Amino acid sequence: MIFASAPATPLTRAQLTWLAALVLLAQLPLALYVPLWIAAAGAGLVAARLALPAERLPSPQLRRWLLPLLALVVAIGIRMRFGYFLARDPCVAFLYVLVGIKYLETRNARDGGLLVCLALFLLLTQFFYTQTIGAALATLPAVLVLGGTLTALREAPTNVEWRPAIVQTARMIVQGIPIAALLFVLFPRLAGPLWGLPADALARTGLSDRMAPGSIGALSLSDEVAFRVDFDGGLAPPPAQRYWRGPVLSRFDGETWTLLPRARSGVPVRTDSRTVTYTVTLEPHGRLWLFALEQPASLPRRPVDAPAATGGDDTLALLTSDHQLLSRAPLLQAVRYTERSTLVGTFPGVGEADRRDNLQLPRDRNPRAIAFARELRGQVDSDRAYIAAVLDRFRNEPFVYTLTPAPLGRDPVDGFLFDTRRGFCEHYAGAFVVLLRAAGIPARVVTGYQGGEINPDGGYLIVRQSDAHAWSEALLDGRWQRFDPTAAVAPSRVERGLGAALPLGEQIPYMAQLDMTWLKQLRLHWDAINYQWQRGVVGFNLDRQRDLLRDLRLDNARPWQIVALAAGAILLWGIFLLGIARMKLLRVDPVLALWAQACRRLALGGLRRNPEEGPLAYAQRAARRWPQWRALFERIGESYALLRYGPQTTDRADLIAALRRSVDTLPPVRALRVR
Amino acid sequence: MRHRRIYILPTRRGLMFIATLAIMLVTSMNYGLSLGFALTFLLSGLVASALLKTYRNLAGIAVSPVAAGEAFAGTELSFSLSFANAGASRSGILVTTAAQRSVSVDLGAGATHIVQVTSEALRRGRQSLGRVTISSDFPLGLWRGWAYVHFALSGVVYPTPEAPAPPLPPGHEGSDARRSARAAEAELAGLRDYQRGDALNRIAWKAVARGAGWYSKQFEGAGGRGPLELEWADTQGLDTEARLSRLTAWVLAAEREARAFALRLPEAELPLGQGATHRRSALTALALFTEKA
Repeated sequence: MIFASAPATPLTRAQLTWLAALVLLAQLPLALYVPLWIAAAGAGLVAARLALPAERLPSPQLRRWLLPLLALVVAIGIRMRFGYFLARDPCVAFLYVLVGIKYLETRNARDGGLLVCLALFLLLTQFFYTQTIGAALATLPAVLVLGGTLTALREAPTNVEWRPAIVQTARMIVQGIPIAALLFVLFPRLAGPLWGLPADALARTGLSDRMAPGSIGALSLSDEVAFRVDFDGGLAPPPAQRYWRGPVLSRFDGETWTLLPRARSGVPVRTDSRTVTYTVTLEPHGRLWLFALEQPASLPRRPVDAPAATGGDDTLALLTSDHQLLSRAPLLQAVRYTERSTLVGTFPGVGEADRRDNLQLPRDRNPRAIAFARELRGQVDSDRAYIAAVLDRFRNEPFVYTLTPAPLGRDPVDGFLFDTRRGFCEHYAGAFVVLLRAAGIPARVVTGYQGGEINPDGGYLIVRQSDAHAWSEALLDGRWQRFDPTAAVAPSRVERGLGAALPLGEQIPYMAQLDMTWLKQLRLHWDAINYQWQRGVVGFNLDRQRDLLRDLRLDNARPWQIVALAAGAILLWGIFLLGIARMKLLRVDPVLALWAQACRRLALGGLRRNPEEGPLAYAQRAARRWPQWRALFERIGESYALLRYGPQTTDRADLIAALRRSVDTLPPVRALRVR
Repeated sequence: MRHRRIYILPTRRGLMFIATLAIMLVTSMNYGLSLGFALTFLLSGLVASALLKTYRNLAGIAVSPVAAGEAFAGTELSFSLSFANAGASRSGILVTTAAQRSVSVDLGAGATHIVQVTSEALRRGRQSLGRVTISSDFPLGLWRGWAYVHFALSGVVYPTPEAPAPPLPPGHEGSDARRSARAAEAELAGLRDYQRGDALNRIAWKAVARGAGWYSKQFEGAGGRGPLELEWADTQGLDTEARLSRLTAWVLAAEREARAFALRLPEAELPLGQGATHRRSALTALALFTEKA
C-alpha cells in the first residue's frame, strides 16, 4: 500500500531514464535532417544529464538562468546557420535542441508531462522531410516507449518495468488501431494549407521555372522519384518517345531561360492517330506543373477508378498555349491523374504572339553564335535544311555529352559552341534555340523528363529526377515540332538513358546505371512496395478521400451524418472491447461465470443483487422472496461462497460441476415473475 | 461498484496531451502530412484505449464495509473496507476519504483485500466514514476515473483523556483513615515522576531532601487493586467536556492498574467490572454522553 505522492516530488532515476528514452527516440529519426551540431547538441544534453551523477550537474538554481541562456545561444547559432529563423527548418532545429534543454531542466512529473508533449511534436516534424515506410517505422519505437513513460510519471515510487510496459503499450495501440483507421479515413482533408506556408516548405527537388547552364545537370544526380506511370493495357511507348513535357521556357536573357510572364490558355491536340492513355502518380514538387507525354490530347482527369464526387470539379489542371499543364495551386501532396497523349510530335502554333515571343534574343549577348547562325542560314535555302545543318554540326564537331562541363563566361552559348564544346542537355537545347532564333526561326526550350525505367515488379514506369531533360521545339510551317539536339550528340541518352550516354568514369546516379545487379533489383522491388504505400497512405488526400467515401456510398452524406457514424463506430468499438474483457474473465473463472449467470437470472426475475451484498445474504433474500426454491438458492449461495472464498480443496472440480447443475436447474424467468 | 456510477474525465496531463494532439493535427492539415495524420490518430487510439483501461480498472470492484474502529479524539480513527476484485489484477487504486486522505492499493486478480482508511477523530461521539472516493488514473495518467461509495459505517470517538490527570479518586467503600492504613500495608513498588495533584503523603520526601528531584511513591497491593467507583460527581467544578476527559483518563488509569471499576454518569450506569469489554463499554458511554438540558 502506497501513499499517493505529491506532484512536486523530484523525478526518480527510473522516471528520468524513461523520459530520456522517449526523447532520444523522438530525436533519432530527425537527426538526418537537422545540422550535425544541432543533432549532437540535442542528444548530448539528454545523454549528459543521464550519464552524470546529480551532484556533478549544475544546481537547479544555476540551471534556471543557464538554460534560457543556452537556448538563446542555440537560437542565434541557428539564425546564423540558416540566415533566417521564422521558417520550418530552423524551427524544427530549434525544437530539436529545446527538447534536450527541457530534459535537462525537468524537475518533477509535471515538467515531465510537458516534455512528453514536446517530444511527440518533435516526432511529427520528421514527416516534413520524409514520409516513406521507413519514416513511419522510425516513429514506432518512440510511440512504444510513450506508454511506459507516462506510466512511470504517474507512479513515482514504483519502478515501471520495461518489457511489460512496452507490451502493454503495444497492446493498447493495437486496440486503438480501429479508431486510428476510422479517423484517418473520415477526418476531412483540406485542398490547401490553412495558412501561408513558409517558403522552405515548398522547396523540393524537381524542375524549376528557370534553366541556367548546370541546373538540370545538378538535378540529374538525384535518384529521387519524380513520378510513376501506369499505362493502360500495360504498354509503354519505346524510350525514345517518352518525352514528358514540363515547363516551357521562351524568354532568354543571354544566359538563363525563363517562363513567359503570362500564360495563355490553349487546347489539346486534336488527333485521329493512335493515342496512349496512362495514369500518373506525381510526387509533390511544390510547383504547378503536371507532366504529360508529348503531346497532350486531353486535359488531365481524375483516374477512371476515381471520378470526382458528384458536383466536384473534374479539371485538375489547365493547358496553356505552349502545352504546359498547370494545376491551380502548388502541388504539396501527391496527385494522381489520367491523361491521354498522342505520340505525333507536332501541334499548331497560335498566331503572331506565339511567333514574336519565341524570336526574342538579347542582341548584345552571344555575338559569335548569332553571326554564325546568320552565315549558315545564308548557305541553305530552307528553314528545315538549316535545322538539319545545325544538327549535323552537333553530330560532326567534337561535342561531348557530360555532366561536368567546363565553366562558361558571360556569353555561355558562345563559349559552349565554339570553345569548350562540353555540355549537358540544357547546353545543347539552349544553344540550339539561340541558333534558330538568330536565323529567324521561332523556337523555345522545353524541360521535363525523358525516358524512365519500367519496374518489372509491378509493371509501371518510374521516372526519376535523374531523367530530367531539356529539348527544343521550333515553329515550322505554322506547327511546333520537337528537336532534341542532345540526341544528335548522344543518341543513347534518349534510347537507353543517362547511364548509357555519359562517358565512362563519370558519376552516374546509382539507379540510372545500366547493369541489373541484384541490389538494383531489390531496390526495384522495394520501389514497388513504396509505390503502393505512396498511393494508399501518403497520397491519401482530399481526392482519395472523396473516392473512398463514394465507394462506401457516403459521398452524399451530410457532415453530421458522418460524425454520427464515426461516433457510433467508436461506441461499438468500446462495447466490443469491454465485452471481450468480460468474456475473458468469465472464461478464466467458471465459478464467476456461473454466479454471474445465477445473479442475472434472479435480476431478470425482479431481484437485483445489491452491490455490497454477499452471496449468502443474497441467497437468503431470494429464499424469502421465493420460498418454494429456498433449498436451491441456499445451495447455490453456499457453494459459490465456498468455491470463491473457501480453502482450496481437491474436489473443487466436483463442486463446480455441482454448482453448474444447481444453476442449470434455476427456474426460468417467467416462473420467477409470477408472484 | 456498478458501472453506471463510474465517472471519467481527463486529468491535467490528459488535457495537455489532447491539446498536443490537436496541435499535431492542425500541423498535419496545414502541411498535408498524411503520416502526420496517421501518427496523430494512432496516438488518439492510444488515448481511447487508455480510457477503456481506466474504466476497466475500476469497474466491477465490490466494495463492502468491514469494520469501524474507535479512537480518542485527536488521534486517527480507522475504518476497514473490503475490496473484492472479481476480475484481472488492478493497479493504482486510490481510496480517498471525505477529508482528502488517500491510500493507494493494488488488487491482485480474483483477490479480496481489506483496506484501512483513516480519518482524524475530531470530536467525541459517533463519527461516520462519510463519502469515500475510489479513483484511479491507471494506466497512463491521462484519464482519471472515480466512483463514490457511501456506507453507513461509523466509529466511536472517545473523549480525549485528560493529561496529566489527577490520581484516581479513592474507593467509596472505605474512609480516608482505612485507606492510608491500607496504603501503609502495601508494599512500596517503586518511584515515579511526580505529577501535579499527587497526594502529599505519597511524595518521596527523602529523595526531595537529597535534592534528587520530585518523585511519588508507587504502591502495589490490596490498596491499588481495590474496586473503584468513578462518579460524575467526583469531577465537580469542571465543564462537561473536561469532566468527561477526566473520567476517560481515570478509566484508562484504572485499566492500567488492573482495578475493577464502576462508572456512574447522570444518564448511564455501568456496574463494577474489569477487562477490555468493560473498558470499551465505559469509554463508549463517555463518548456518547449527552447532558439532559
